Amino acid sequence: MPPANFKDELIAEIKNLRAFAISLSGSVSLADDLVQETLLRAWSKSDKFQPGTSLRAWLFTILRNIYYSNYRKRAREVQDSDGAYARRLIVSGDQESHLDLEDFRKALAKLPAEQREVLTLVGATGLSYEEAAVICDVEIGTIKSRLSRARSKLVELLGLEESPASAAAVGRMRRAG
Amino acid sequence: MLAWQNGGEVTKLNPTDDDGRRNEAALDPKALDSLGRALKAHYDDLVHAPLPDKFLELLARLEAREQRGRKSGSGDAAG
Repeated sequence: MPPANFKDELIAEIKNLRAFAISLSGSVSLADDLVQETLLRAWSKSDKFQPGTSLRAWLFTILRNIYYSNYRKRAREVQDSDGAYARRLIVSGDQESHLDLEDFRKALAKLPAEQREVLTLVGATGLSYEEAAVICDVEIGTIKSRLSRARSKLVELLGLEESPASAAAVGRMRRAG
Repeated sequence: MLAWQNGGEVTKLNPTDDDGRRNEAALDPKALDSLGRALKAHYDDLVHAPLPDKFLELLARLEAREQRGRKSGSGDAAG
């Protein structure tokens, strides 16, 4: 039987759980199914949760396991390749600051799921490398290298790299001026 | 010119860990900073998107079922 405040603690995590599910699956409808299934499983396995540990990390682990065992194939079929889910989902926001975000989402959608999830876990949810490693069931070194590859790929896709030639040219101009 | 610097063309990154680390070491800190900010902004948008009611409804159903289960469980024990 779940502890008395378990339901409230679950409720507090739903927004983060759904954001992670959307990032992972690239689809709002799949993400919602994933969240439902995760909540069901968390409820029925609540005795497996160790109080004092991170409920968020525990829920992410459950969601991720469900995703890779049941949803991955479906996700490939329905995933918005250009991150268009965000446009449907997001109702408000400063258009000015969202200009680059659209490009960012398109680039993010092109990463393999393994890289996208690590980027999300470490870069956006505030979980530690250690927690991400437990959630993904890999070594910390693997988390770091996936993160590194994800960043390199995004820099490349978004054209953020600074070529040594132009950097050197700028350096010379600065020295000359 | 290195493969990852050829002017925005999609290029293959060597999928080994060593290469991943080398590539990141070569990344511009400003580029990493804008990536970090975009990632947070993207995720914040998702976190703050309106939630459908179905999640709360599901949890309410689970809780109600549990309470019914407890009542019928004690009823059975008494009977």
